[in-house]
Amino acid sequence: MKHLLIIGNSAAGISCAENVRKKDKEIKITILSKEDYTGYNRCLISYYLAGDIKEDRLVYRAKDFYKDNNIELLLNKKAVRIDAKKNQVVLEDKSRLDYDILLLSNGASPKFPQDIKGIQKKGVFGFRTISDAKEMLDLALVSQTACILGGGLIGLKAAYGLKKRNLDVKVIVKSSQVLSQILDKESSEMCKRRLVEHGIDIMTGADVQEIIGNGDCKAVKLDSGKVIASSIVVVGKGVKPNTELIEDSAIKLAEGILVDEYMKTNIPNIYAAGDIAQAYDPILEETTVNALWPNAIEQGMVVASSILGENKKYGGSVGMNSVEFFGLPVISFGITRAPQDGYEEIVSRDVPQNIYKKVILKNNVIKGAIFASRIENIGILLKLAKLKIDVSTIKDTLLKADFNFSVTKDLQYEKEEFYL
Amino acid sequence: MKKLYYDPKKCTACKTCEIVCAIGHSPSQDLYTAILEENVALPRVRVSVGKEGNFPLACRHCKDHPCVNACIASALTYDKEEGLLFDKEKCVGCWMCIMACPYGAVRHDSRNNKSQRCDLCADIHDPRCAKNCPTKAIVYREEKT
Repeated sequence: MKHLLIIGNSAAGISCAENVRKKDKEIKITILSKEDYTGYNRCLISYYLAGDIKEDRLVYRAKDFYKDNNIELLLNKKAVRIDAKKNQVVLEDKSRLDYDILLLSNGASPKFPQDIKGIQKKGVFGFRTISDAKEMLDLALVSQTACILGGGLIGLKAAYGLKKRNLDVKVIVKSSQVLSQILDKESSEMCKRRLVEHGIDIMTGADVQEIIGNGDCKAVKLDSGKVIASSIVVVGKGVKPNTELIEDSAIKLAEGILVDEYMKTNIPNIYAAGDIAQAYDPILEETTVNALWPNAIEQGMVVASSILGENKKYGGSVGMNSVEFFGLPVISFGITRAPQDGYEEIVSRDVPQNIYKKVILKNNVIKGAIFASRIENIGILLKLAKLKIDVSTIKDTLLKADFNFSVTKDLQYEKEEFYL
Repeated sequence: MKKLYYDPKKCTACKTCEIVCAIGHSPSQDLYTAILEENVALPRVRVSVGKEGNFPLACRHCKDHPCVNACIASALTYDKEEGLLFDKEKCVGCWMCIMACPYGAVRHDSRNNKSQRCDLCADIHDPRCAKNCPTKAIVYREEKT
């Protein structure tokens, strides 16, 4: 009996296991997790932190799922090395697990910049796991102020959650803008304004030098010399794929593990998917790590299809985000700030209504978009971008209020034909 | 499974489908009560007026359902017989489904922070839009293969 070993018990790993099991009742499936929980909705921890949902809603796949699908789940087990020659995974406790097929879906971890003195102190979080959220909630009860390092999505979600727990929240951002990786200047300003209106202090152009405290974090010291008393610090400086375990193996690695269109690594019986994988991005037209839940689910499905011998080709993953802060929803994908030459920007705004829309094109192919406040229909643009469809005939309609799917009816691409 | 199909040439954009959809999804299911309800029910189907006809559209209950893959709250699941199933209680209003839907068929209901989509009138197993379309422009029938 073949053994599929999956490292990582989140979106990509679970999606692969579930889809393999749907069609193959024989194969032995084991999922390894370094955490202590059955599959959970990682992206919901900010909602849990904010008190918007209770803990039970974090459950993605409960114990029964593993039992019903005959999947062995090994919790609190950390893989530290791959011995690809022997088809074995070495665990932290030195024990070894054999595999016939291996899926590396062990995700990513928050970056903790080591040039910030004291970053290892208690009370400093990466905000990635249920444990992080729980510890933050405990501390929030006895804290007045929280400092967020970085104005990215994770940091701002933590800021939102902690603000809803009535803390004074200060977001310390090195650059002049928040969400600069996923939004352009105008939409970034809209988000910033909304956060500030709701009492979150955003300090741009500032950086943290040191986290002060005797074991526990008590304050942060900025590069200006200013000291802010704070017993919770969230480091939102991005994530890094958990590739340590393959560093001395022959598996090819760039930022993430390089995979082909079947999510296969350069070693035939080893796959990678999710936040650890570097797959093709049809918008950037190169491989990149797009560490997002929907991409992880799809990539897990592609791995399953490859294992089952169906060999479905993966169309690739795109950077895409949907955020909402205090009633301002914003969705963006792809390239949101046009590089100089060869790109075209179309913008539409309704300032009194707080509506902002932008689409970026190159040679009449959509390369990115931002929709703020009015977010419906952006998925149509995303599909056209992924398939690199020439939209010259409908370009002027893309940002119109009445833009809808029927506008695309004369464009030739894979879609369901439901108009008679 | 049975799905909804639309004939743009027969559709006169009278929007009866939108009205019966909204009423059918209101708590009272009665027009004159529904219009006075808090958070008046929104239609899940919408008709776009075009030069070459009018185009009704609602959730396609796709087999490959990118919205289900994108849902971070486990609010969306897919069943081969019933299509897309939406557990409104679990929806956190993250709008990932709106981002993922290639048809623009998911509605953004900011009033209660929940997404909305056609459920094929699961309560009566007979979509009201098709049943009430005066010109028979909306047809509920087995999926084209």
